[in-house]
Amino acid sequence: MLVAWKYRPRNTIIQRLDPRARLIFLACLFAAFSIAQIWDIRLLLPLFALSLGLYFLARIEWRDIKRVWMFILILVVFIVGINALIAGRGGPTEVLQEQSHALFQANLIIPGTTWGFTITITVVKAFFAVTQIVRMLTMAILAIPIPYTMDPAVYGVSFRRMGLPDKISFTMDLAFRFIPTLGRDFAITVDAQRARGYEVESLRGGLISRLRRLAPLIVPVTMQSIVTGEEVIDAMDLRAFGVRPRTWIRELHYQRRDYIFIGLGVAILLASIVLKLLGYGRFWMPEALINWTG
Amino acid sequence: MDKKLWEFKTRQVVYGAIGAALYGVFAWATNIFPLPAAGNITFRPAVAVLIFFGVAFGPWVGLIAGFIGNVLGDALSGWGFWWHWSLGNGLMGLIPGLAMLMIKDYRKTKDIVIAVGFGAVGIAVGMLFASLMEKVTGGIDLITALVGYFTPAFIGNLIVTIVLLPILMIAYHAVVSRRGR
Repeated sequence: MLVAWKYRPRNTIIQRLDPRARLIFLACLFAAFSIAQIWDIRLLLPLFALSLGLYFLARIEWRDIKRVWMFILILVVFIVGINALIAGRGGPTEVLQEQSHALFQANLIIPGTTWGFTITITVVKAFFAVTQIVRMLTMAILAIPIPYTMDPAVYGVSFRRMGLPDKISFTMDLAFRFIPTLGRDFAITVDAQRARGYEVESLRGGLISRLRRLAPLIVPVTMQSIVTGEEVIDAMDLRAFGVRPRTWIRELHYQRRDYIFIGLGVAILLASIVLKLLGYGRFWMPEALINWTG
Repeated sequence: MDKKLWEFKTRQVVYGAIGAALYGVFAWATNIFPLPAAGNITFRPAVAVLIFFGVAFGPWVGLIAGFIGNVLGDALSGWGFWWHWSLGNGLMGLIPGLAMLMIKDYRKTKDIVIAVGFGAVGIAVGMLFASLMEKVTGGIDLITALVGYFTPAFIGNLIVTIVLLPILMIAYHAVVSRRGR
C-alpha cells in the first residue's frame, strides 16, 4: 500500500502563484460568504464563474477528481438542495414564510398513525434551492483543488510566513514528512497481520467486533511511532531546537501576480460587506418566474 | 517526569506531528477499507488515535494533531481544504488533552473512564463547532446542521472512541513501563 499525495506538478498559472496568496484568497472568499451572507443569485453567479474559471486553470484531470465530485454533488444536491426545496430552511425568513405560488403539494401520513405533515414546494423555495446549490458549489470549487495543486512541502513555510509561530509551522512540516514513513509502517503491519491469517478486506461480525478487530492494525503502528518519537525528540533537543528562530529551506517571494490575486480576494470581501451594508445581497428571484406561476 | 498541561516544547512539537500524521494516514486508510454503517454515519477509527494523543500528551498535541491531521487526511484523500472541519477536529483533540494530568495509570478502569468521558465531550464540542460553522459558511439551517452533520459525526466518533481508546491506553501503559519515561 503506497501513501500518495494527490499533488502533481502541472506547470499551470495556479501552481505558479505563491501558496500564501492562494490561501489568503481562499480565506477572503470564505469570509465573504460567511460574513456578508449574500443570497442574491445575481451576485453569486459572477463568483461562481470566477471559481469555475480558477478551477479549470488548475487543469486537474477528471480521473483524479471524479470520486470527490460525486461525493460533493450528492452532498450539495441531496442534503442541501432537497432540504432547501422542501423546508426552505437555511436562508432568509421570507423563503420559509412564502406559501403562495405552490408548484407541488403532498400530505404525508406516517403509516399506522394519524400523524402527518404537508410538504409544499413553492416557486420561491425552488429558486432558493438553486441559489443554495450555487452558493455551496462555489465554495466547494474553490476548496477542492488545493490538495491537487499545492505542494505538501510548502504548507509549513507558507503558514510560518503568514504569521504562525515557528514551532507550529515546524510541526506541520514534520507531520507532512512523517506521512511516507507511517504509511510504510502501516503497510508492513497489514502484511504481517495477513501472514498471521488476519482478513483485512472482510471484517466480519457486528459493528463493535469489527471495530475491535481493527486494533491489530492501529495499535502496533501507533505504539511504534511513539517509541520513534522519543528518538526524534532526543535528536532535536541535542540540536537545541526551539532556542532561536528557524530558517527554512524553501523561501517564498511574492510576485506581482500574487499581489493582484490577493487584491482581488480582498476586493471581493470588501465589496460583499459594502453591498450588504447598503442593503443589497438579500434573496432575490425574477419577477417573471412568480408571474409565470400565477 | 513533571508534566505541565500547557507546555509547548520539543516533545509537543514531535508528538503533535506524529499524531497528525497518524490521524491523516488512518483517516485515508479507512477510506480504502470503509466500515459500512447505518444512514450517513461513517466510522473513522483514526478519531480514537487523536483522542489518545490528546489524553497522553496534552491539549496542544491534541489540538495540533486534530487540525493538521484533518488537513493531511483531506490532502491525501483529495477532499479539499475545509478550515472549520479541521478546527473542529482540533477541538476534538484539545479537550481530551485537559484530562492529561488526571490520568495516573493507563490500565485503571477509573482513568480509562475519565479519558473516554473527556473524549466524548471533545467529540461533542468539536463536531458541534464544525457543524454550526457549516451553518455560517454554507447557510444551512440549524436542524440540518444538527441532524445532517453533527449527529452522524458524533455517534460514529463516540462509538469508535469507546471501543478503541481503552485498547490504545492499555497498550501505551506497556510502552511507558518499558521506557521508564
